Amino acid sequence: MTALKTASLAALMTAALAGTALAADTVKIGYQLPLTGETAQYGQDFRKAAEIALAEFNAAGKPFKAEIVFEDSRSDAKEGTNIARKFVDDKEIVGVLGDFTSGVSMASAQVYKDAGMPQLSQTASHPDYTKISKYQFRNIATQAQEGPYNAKWMLSKGYKNIAVIAEQTDWGQSVVSGFTDGVKANGGTVVFSEFFNRGLKDYRSLISKLERAKPDAIYTGFFYEDGAQFLRQVQQLGIKTPVYSTSAAYSPKLIELAGEAAEGVHLTSNFLPTDPAPHIQHFVTEWKAASNGAVPGQFPAQAYDAVRIMLAAVEKAYPNPTREKVRDALAQTKDFAGVTGKTSFSADREAEKELVKVEVKGGAFVPVAD
Amino acid sequence: MIDPYYLQQLAIGLSLGMTYALMAIGFTLIFGVLNVVNFAHGEVYTLGAFAGLVLISATAPPIFAVIFIALAIGAMAGFSLERIAFKPFRRFTDEASLKSRAMRESTLLSSLAVSIVVREALEIVFGSQMRSVPFEYLINTPVRIGPVILVTGDFIIFGVAAAMLIGLQYLLTRTRIGLSIRAVSNNPLGAKYVGIDTDRTIIMTFVVGSMMGAAAGILTGLYYGAIFPAMGFVPGIKAFVAMVMGGLSSIPGAVICALILGISESMATTFVSSGWSDMVAYGFLILTLIFFPNGLFGARRERV
Repeated sequence: MTALKTASLAALMTAALAGTALAADTVKIGYQLPLTGETAQYGQDFRKAAEIALAEFNAAGKPFKAEIVFEDSRSDAKEGTNIARKFVDDKEIVGVLGDFTSGVSMASAQVYKDAGMPQLSQTASHPDYTKISKYQFRNIATQAQEGPYNAKWMLSKGYKNIAVIAEQTDWGQSVVSGFTDGVKANGGTVVFSEFFNRGLKDYRSLISKLERAKPDAIYTGFFYEDGAQFLRQVQQLGIKTPVYSTSAAYSPKLIELAGEAAEGVHLTSNFLPTDPAPHIQHFVTEWKAASNGAVPGQFPAQAYDAVRIMLAAVEKAYPNPTREKVRDALAQTKDFAGVTGKTSFSADREAEKELVKVEVKGGAFVPVAD
Repeated sequence: MIDPYYLQQLAIGLSLGMTYALMAIGFTLIFGVLNVVNFAHGEVYTLGAFAGLVLISATAPPIFAVIFIALAIGAMAGFSLERIAFKPFRRFTDEASLKSRAMRESTLLSSLAVSIVVREALEIVFGSQMRSVPFEYLINTPVRIGPVILVTGDFIIFGVAAAMLIGLQYLLTRTRIGLSIRAVSNNPLGAKYVGIDTDRTIIMTFVVGSMMGAAAGILTGLYYGAIFPAMGFVPGIKAFVAMVMGGLSSIPGAVICALILGISESMATTFVSSGWSDMVAYGFLILTLIFFPNGLFGARRERV
């Protein structure tokens, strides 16, 4: 078996050396993501984005074909570790993408750490994720970067007393701590800080409680579903306090679900579907074609980039890519021109990204200067 | 003078409790007859909401047509659910199998299976994203009463829940079908012996209970403005808690306990972090189970 593989590989290398573009070899990467369950909408989007990236890669006449094995983790840490073991056992898989949440990504990371499998998550933004081992990478700005950035932004607008709420998850906690540190360092006060359970329907109790602290502005760590409910109920209760949020809420669905209530919300992002740059417009067009004309949000864009970064690393490690070579190639990623801006990995495997300030105006996300 | 803040929290709690009650009524009705939890009730709720949404996006119907289609889909869902998940386990009509715990518990699993299949099917057809409801159909225009702000939906849901409760009491105590539902619920074998068509009665219960579940789904969907395949899960759990607290087969008891749940959640938010407010509700459940094993409003039940 091994001899056969080596033989075919040798034949392939000869073919490559001979300059023929015979694409006989296939390199496999794994993608663990929630395809069912409460966070399925995100996983489905990631798969769609990954398929776009994969089709492009395979159509580009590279020396090998790539294949992605998708596994459904249901955003469940236990399921995530099972998948991780499965991927690790599959000797053909040289790199893994995912998972969606920080919690599941970190649980699976323990398996990848022991097996020496490079893991690149498009969304896990908990500060501790990349600290697990040299095999963990992420393609998202962490709350340790975004929190202080947003804190400075809000303080510069003259909001000194700020209320913070976030979902009760690893990620939500990093939102609150990252932001609170930023506010304190720059002379503001956090007058209220609380967590809520993801998927909460009724925020009115929480909003009433929050308003008792009389904040100048509200900073929120939520995703679009929770965000839309929150914003709607803020409007219902007749509250005019400005709301700021993180890039996690940046999705066209936020505006679709919240309608007028989303007007005036400020947030940061690193993907603007309205950006005229050709590679961004290309992705937006492909996405629209695959999803009935819907505009992609930030998360699918990050997944698209993550897949392309991984494929580029595999290509760099080619021929005969191993997990170790792919890891090293990932670590060398520099100024990768993706749809979410230029991405480089720092020495501690954090994606360094530029953030854009955005406000909801007239039913659309509009970039603002301050 | 009470702080208006607490009045507002009380109002929010009541309105929250009402949405749970809406779900708990149909849930308890079905439990009362078969003595078994119908895990698919949450999916009937979701189906009702999707039926309404599909109609809204296809044509621009008046609101009562939306409710009507939800009720119709609910009735159909209840009928098919009984056929698929419950009837096959009633093949044997001897006394031993009618009283058999294993028989009842297998419907627990079959209804759970149906609920999973329906939810995943909805995800395949509609996607798992939250779908928005056109704004003109939403029932959440703010209404200010003194220091308290509520929305129109709160009053509609209150009205519907009250109508359901009163209508159901009328049905159960004054009509033939109601009498047979109560007879079957009391003693299925006895009911059979005196000539009641138990199969038909059980089907009717499912149809009525599921119509209420579907109506709850579309109303809550219009109230919160978001409809998605997993929407039935949390209300299902809350309705279950309300039912257990209320004494399993007491519908008014379930409604009162749903309101207690809602109020304790909103009030608890004042004193503990919102993330912990569910704990208060479940704490109540545990206390009830320890000190009132028959529920707050349950009569002493025969052990089956």
